[in-house]
Amino acid sequence: MLADATPTRQLAGPGPAMEMTGIGKRFPGVLALEDVSVTFEPGKVHALMGENGAGKSTLIKILAGVYQKDLGTIRIGGIETDLRSPSDAIRQGIKVVFQEIALISEFTVAENIFLERYPVNGMGSISWRTIRNDAAALFERVGFKVDPSAKVGDLPVSQQQMVEIARALAREARIVVMDEPTSSLTPNEVALLFGVIRRLTGLGIAVVYVSHKLDEIFEIADTVTVLRDGRHISTKPVGEHTHDSLIQDMIGRRIENLFPRSRGASRGEVVVKVENLSTDSKLKDISFEARAGEVLGFFGLMGAGRTELAKAITGYDPIRTGRISIGGKPLLPHNTSTGVGLGIGLLSEDRKTEGLMLDLPVLQNTSLAALEQFARYAFVDEGREKSAVQSFVDRFRIKTPNLGQQIKNLSGGNQQKVLLARWLMRGLKVIVVDEPTRGIDVGAKSEIFALIDQLAAEGLAVIMMTSEMPELLGLSDRIAVMAEGRITATMSREDATQESILNAAIA
Amino acid sequence: MPQSPSPAAAAGPSGAGALIRSLFRRNEAVLLGCLIVLIVFFSLASDSFLTVRNITNVLGQASLAMVAGIGVGVLVISGEIDVSIGSLAGAVGIPLVVIMNATGSLELGIAAALTLSLLVGAINGYLAAYVGINSLIATLGSMFVIRGAIYLYTGQKAIPDDLALESFYQLGNGRLLGTIPYPALVALVLLVGFIYIMRHRPFGRKLYAVGGNPEVARLAGFNVKRVKFIAFVICSLLAGISGILLSSRLGSAVHVAGLGFEFQVVAAVVLGGVSLAGGIGSLAGVALGVLILYFLANGLGMLNIATEWQLVITGLIIIAAVAFDELKRRRK
Repeated sequence: MLADATPTRQLAGPGPAMEMTGIGKRFPGVLALEDVSVTFEPGKVHALMGENGAGKSTLIKILAGVYQKDLGTIRIGGIETDLRSPSDAIRQGIKVVFQEIALISEFTVAENIFLERYPVNGMGSISWRTIRNDAAALFERVGFKVDPSAKVGDLPVSQQQMVEIARALAREARIVVMDEPTSSLTPNEVALLFGVIRRLTGLGIAVVYVSHKLDEIFEIADTVTVLRDGRHISTKPVGEHTHDSLIQDMIGRRIENLFPRSRGASRGEVVVKVENLSTDSKLKDISFEARAGEVLGFFGLMGAGRTELAKAITGYDPIRTGRISIGGKPLLPHNTSTGVGLGIGLLSEDRKTEGLMLDLPVLQNTSLAALEQFARYAFVDEGREKSAVQSFVDRFRIKTPNLGQQIKNLSGGNQQKVLLARWLMRGLKVIVVDEPTRGIDVGAKSEIFALIDQLAAEGLAVIMMTSEMPELLGLSDRIAVMAEGRITATMSREDATQESILNAAIA
Repeated sequence: MPQSPSPAAAAGPSGAGALIRSLFRRNEAVLLGCLIVLIVFFSLASDSFLTVRNITNVLGQASLAMVAGIGVGVLVISGEIDVSIGSLAGAVGIPLVVIMNATGSLELGIAAALTLSLLVGAINGYLAAYVGINSLIATLGSMFVIRGAIYLYTGQKAIPDDLALESFYQLGNGRLLGTIPYPALVALVLLVGFIYIMRHRPFGRKLYAVGGNPEVARLAGFNVKRVKFIAFVICSLLAGISGILLSSRLGSAVHVAGLGFEFQVVAAVVLGGVSLAGGIGSLAGVALGVLILYFLANGLGMLNIATEWQLVITGLIIIAAVAFDELKRRRK
């Protein structure tokens, strides 16, 4: 029934739309999901909640056929099913609105909506008229104002997100999964979306809704499942939850004292001063100071603007307004060579593409930023280079057979140490570390923490961006919390609690 | 929430959509304009250019590149490339002529030639799509392997068409009603067919999707590897057809046939507005790109411009065209 714009065919029979039982998924070095069981009922909105890294995205990708589960069973409409590819999931009536826009930007809105199955005539030719008309009718029904004949690449992100949502509704569905669907929608558009969701549940479709926004959860969800560290924590009707009980379920853990601190409370002068910083991309009116010898931790959930801030204050990304000064001098012109000259460096969250030269040896990777120091005339004095690098390898206990080893053969923790060494060799006043322990196993984590702690003890100002609560509370002297591009709270370590931090981080 | 102003938002969605569509049409319109300017210029500059004989001759020559160019265009749109087509176009002459000499049947010869093309396309496609070797490297390898095999088999000599079959001669040299070369008809039929596929069949759209964003295509349920594999096979089959026509024009299987052909074809495809990154371009553009290059070469020849200068001019035009495309894209 192409002429009908919302799903008309109910794939849902009686009983649960989908049961996932004992789902386990392991990635190299990480147990992403462990024995997670959850049941999605037809006609209900089931919210999935949890901190970053709790396992929501992995679960959704298993649902969508993007990842394959290692353990457990999936039953769809009571029948055990293997979802081996996205097309399997699509065939089973599982529609996913991914957080990242998954559209072909060169195609029109209408064509993107029917990408999964082009309507064809008797000859097998695509019926472009059907596509145009049905897309227009679909937007009409949903109430989104999007031109079906526009090229997707020319639309702003919020419109692209509406196209994503509309696409999930174009054909019969059993389960519609929405991963943070409102991240770039206006309140009006969110209201329209909720109208659509209610219509879907009215048709007996199960909706799985992932969001960090508590207000949305309380407004739209029937049931809430909380995941934490890859495990199932609770599944309750939303009515049994309060704001606080949800946050409690999401945090839950006790922070162990993983990170012995070596430094006392002594702090030096202000070395970083940021005033009213805004960028075109995300940041709004950010002001803060960081002192020599302290770790200033920035916490925020996905999309809060941590990485954007790290890149803006180090000169990587342009800013629109505001002032940044390092050691009393303005970061002008705004670029990385000024930044490094003033003594601020970034340890990127994306080690592999923005930090390391994977095929080069430890030696070159370490000395990269400090080559001038070893220069004699126009040549690098290799002897001095080697001895300097060796001293860092010893001091940081970087595990490598020799300095000629290709960096890609080192573990994540040792790679991160090399990157830290690179900046210290250069001689910095401020180091900005973005998710310093991402993809690093637990043992190496505490070594990285000890290094960061040591750097602060030696008088550097450390600005740490993190989405991991234990890391934040374990290392920071002061904590700033971000949400939607703003700083929503600043507190000292002593005053901070997991609840107060998460409250400030959740809009 | 303050929205960052974008040109698309400012023009309104419908305005932006219409603008883009007209831009797309304009890409081919620009090429057509260039072709017309070329033809008018050479007609004025040379008396012998705008004659039925000359124009149909150029069409006959250009159709070999057009047939192969359609295949390369399809493949490049899917995000891959094949530089072994010149070697393959040369190689298919061997089974064609050898089988024809042995059996006296043109049909069997063609079947053998197409089988070889299919095989090469399948190997290229397997290496690039399934093994994951960069397609430039994989097909660069097969380019050398095939050319080497040709030299080994022929001992660096041409294999003549012993039977001098009239049907074989007509294939590449005959003309419909004494005017339109058969190769031009073959090219036209294939062009129309593939334009239809690329615009109106789901498979054609999948080629664009896979080239434009393979991850999104995969999420939409497409078998990205298979789509690319088929694109390689199509490309090789069309290169094979082009080689059959070439062999007929040469009257034999020539060991150096098709040398450098791949780069002429890739140049025409790029000139026609197909992005080497995949997902962007049209076969109509490819056809225009081929015609521009061939009419340019012919016209410059008529004006007695040395071939050395023809090469320089052709190269500059290709660079200018791609730079123009890039600037246009960046301004958007």
